[in-house]
Amino acid sequence: MKVLDIQGLSFAYEDGTVALKDVSLSLEKGDKVAIVGPNGAGKSTLLHLIAGFRTPFSGTVVIDEKRLDEKSADSLRMRIGLLFQDPEDQVFMPTVKEDVAFGPRNLKMDDIDLRIARALSTAGIEGLANRKTHKLSFGMKKRTALAGVLAMDPSLLLLDEPTAGLDPRARADLISLLKEMDKTMLIATHDIEAVAEVADRALVLNIGVVARGTMRELVMDREVFRQAGLEMPPISKLFEVLKVMGYTITELPVSMDQAVCELTKVIEEGGSHTHAHIHEHDHSKASDTHPHTNVNRVHRAR
Amino acid sequence: MHIPDGLMDPSVALVGWVEFAVAISLVLLVSGRKIREQDLPRVAILAAGIFVAQMVNFPIGGGTTGHLIGGALFAIIAGPYMAILGMTVVILIQALMFGDGGITALGLNALNMAVIAPLAGWGVFGLLEPLYASGGRLGRWAAAAAASWASVFIAAAACAGELAVSFAISGGDFGIAPTIAIPAMLAYHAVIAFGEAIITVGILAYLSDVAPKLLSRKSAAEKEGVPSFRGSRIGFSAAAILAVFALILPLYFLYAAEGEDGLEQTMSDAGTGEGSAMFVAPFSYGESYFAALFAGMLGFVIAGLATVAILKTLESKNGEG
Amino acid sequence: MGSVGFWRKELRIGLQDDRAESTWLGRLDARAKLVGILIFVIACAILTAPELVYASLVISLGISAVSSLRPAYLIASYAAALPFILLAAFSVTITVGWDRGALMIARTSACVLALIVLVGTTSSFDLFAGLRRLGVPKVLTTLSLLVQKYIGLLGQELSRMTTARKARGFRGGKSLLDKYALRVISNTAGMVFVRSAGRADRAYEGLKSRGFDGDLVGWRQTRIKSGDLAFLSVLAAVSISLLALQAGLIA
Repeated sequence: MKVLDIQGLSFAYEDGTVALKDVSLSLEKGDKVAIVGPNGAGKSTLLHLIAGFRTPFSGTVVIDEKRLDEKSADSLRMRIGLLFQDPEDQVFMPTVKEDVAFGPRNLKMDDIDLRIARALSTAGIEGLANRKTHKLSFGMKKRTALAGVLAMDPSLLLLDEPTAGLDPRARADLISLLKEMDKTMLIATHDIEAVAEVADRALVLNIGVVARGTMRELVMDREVFRQAGLEMPPISKLFEVLKVMGYTITELPVSMDQAVCELTKVIEEGGSHTHAHIHEHDHSKASDTHPHTNVNRVHRAR
Repeated sequence: MHIPDGLMDPSVALVGWVEFAVAISLVLLVSGRKIREQDLPRVAILAAGIFVAQMVNFPIGGGTTGHLIGGALFAIIAGPYMAILGMTVVILIQALMFGDGGITALGLNALNMAVIAPLAGWGVFGLLEPLYASGGRLGRWAAAAAASWASVFIAAAACAGELAVSFAISGGDFGIAPTIAIPAMLAYHAVIAFGEAIITVGILAYLSDVAPKLLSRKSAAEKEGVPSFRGSRIGFSAAAILAVFALILPLYFLYAAEGEDGLEQTMSDAGTGEGSAMFVAPFSYGESYFAALFAGMLGFVIAGLATVAILKTLESKNGEG
Repeated sequence: MGSVGFWRKELRIGLQDDRAESTWLGRLDARAKLVGILIFVIACAILTAPELVYASLVISLGISAVSSLRPAYLIASYAAALPFILLAAFSVTITVGWDRGALMIARTSACVLALIVLVGTTSSFDLFAGLRRLGVPKVLTTLSLLVQKYIGLLGQELSRMTTARKARGFRGGKSLLDKYALRVISNTAGMVFVRSAGRADRAYEGLKSRGFDGDLVGWRQTRIKSGDLAFLSVLAAVSISLLALQAGLIA
């Protein structure tokens, strides 16, 4: 079943500026799709529109097989979890626990305590349950907002620049969080690297849809990237250099995993052999929580 | 002008609560359906802005400072209903969260600053604006200035009346003697009102430069769903001002019922040397205050009718319909 | 002479929220506190017999003492309400006499202290939710909560702008007629407002994105417990006794 289906969507502000032009995209359950583009491309607007905050628009938006319009906006919004770019806009109650409970309470869900516990643990902030929200760091506030959104058990997650403003550690944590989460999600961002780790495919948006495909396909299209004001991730640039140096690179990688894979191929073709895993955690834990997408990895024990 | 608990005579405080309750209920009833959910954040941010603005002290010379009330500003931007709601919330928050103004006195405070001030400001603005229409933007700002000044002054007059009546009724237990309350309140606020006028116009001017949508020509009247047909806008404005005077009326009845006895009591108390009284409240002061109030009301009605008549003549002359 | 100054109250919002829950009063149901203290304040505000007024002041001080609020907080909050109390007392004194003036201060202080205890031990959220559950119209309580949140927003914008202004050398005007200063101040006010308007819309969307439908009902599911009733009855009993004594003394 299609969780989200958008056809021919166009939207303009009251003063006439066109924000979105003829956008189409669809998501099946479990898909993780990124919307990349420069500032002002309409990414935020698109997400807020799907959440029912921008009407009227032309074209169709269908969520969980129900059509979005002014009348259905409020009820459809309950199935969607929109994570705002600025957590200040969303985190509201005095303590973390109460804030996460805010959504489920409003939606009159049952088992609220269970939901809160689950949401807090998914977002990795169980220990913060009784902390005062106004004392949290930006990264923690973001996680609180995320937990609050997850607690409502939405069928679709809309993430507006989730990595913006986070320090490198927090960013890495959030990226692995999103990667492990089993939720249908649409991520609007210009952080290409983050997206490459999390999303299966992506859409380049600049008012209208400029290109779409997997991240690796998009990265190959330098022109599109350049026109959309986007920067190739450093990993891809490095491998482009390698390509120019004469090594056989079939597809430019965009994420670390892909890069390691390509590198292994290159090295093995050169005659030597490697076997590698990369783990970001140490080995005190019994089970390996990193999903294996590839056989060859660089292994370095900490 | 935030009155603490224990200052006003209980009957006056009660009258204040009753009048305020009636006013706010009317507002909620009339505008209940018209308040769309998306208006709430706008009204709230405006109220928050007025709240913060009220915390600013501006100097008025001689080392004293005054502060903004903001009732007229609110009403000019958002119309009388939203202004009354918004100012009520400001007063509520000030009382509940900062102890700025008491809770038994909340009725009076809200009446003065959240009902009378915005109504008077809106009413005066509505009446003056068409007259100044020919003056262009300058004319509008002049109207806004006059409206702000009037809103502060009239609210202060109401407060002074409440203090005076409290004193008179209770024989000095509550309130402030009319000889002090009335001149002090009126003089002080007459000066502060100029500050309010200047700041109000300043903010309106800035907003019209930067965010003209907030102050569209069709402004308050249309926001209320009232057609901006001149006649009825003037009618509503005049009604607003009359309502203000009507609100002050019960005070007079209270005074008439018990005030004279109270003043007499005070006189004899002072005469028997109970305390080191330096002033003695003259009998007739109370009467002349209310007489002045009535005269004002009457004069206002006459002026209002005259204005309407003049405008109607002008309109038919110019062939507008 | 005076330069234009700003008086920040944001500090007190912080004080209140930090400690509210930890006091025993803080854990009482907001509705019980609201009704109880309201009854007490009404009683205090009506008293005129000197012995009773001073007695009520003592009771108020007693309530403040057991409230476990920090003395600094009590004093600071009281100081804020002082100016008007003093003005009233002053004018009473010069028209009627010292004892009446002192009585005025005592009476208003008793009321103000009780109010400070109510506000200091209850988070604003509980306060408004409590009011709503007591029957205050939903528009007012919802607006109150929004306004309170937005005041914080504006405060942030304002301090950002005044800092930026100071960094460029603006030092405040000499009087209201200082045209340049006036222009700068109006501009600041206007700009703060316009910037905050956008944030206000987003904050509201933030609320709606989590299912908020315009009402506070149901956010606090607390029930009235015996502790709440005890508190309420004690205050009511005290208040009624005071009023009865007053009626007796006058009759």
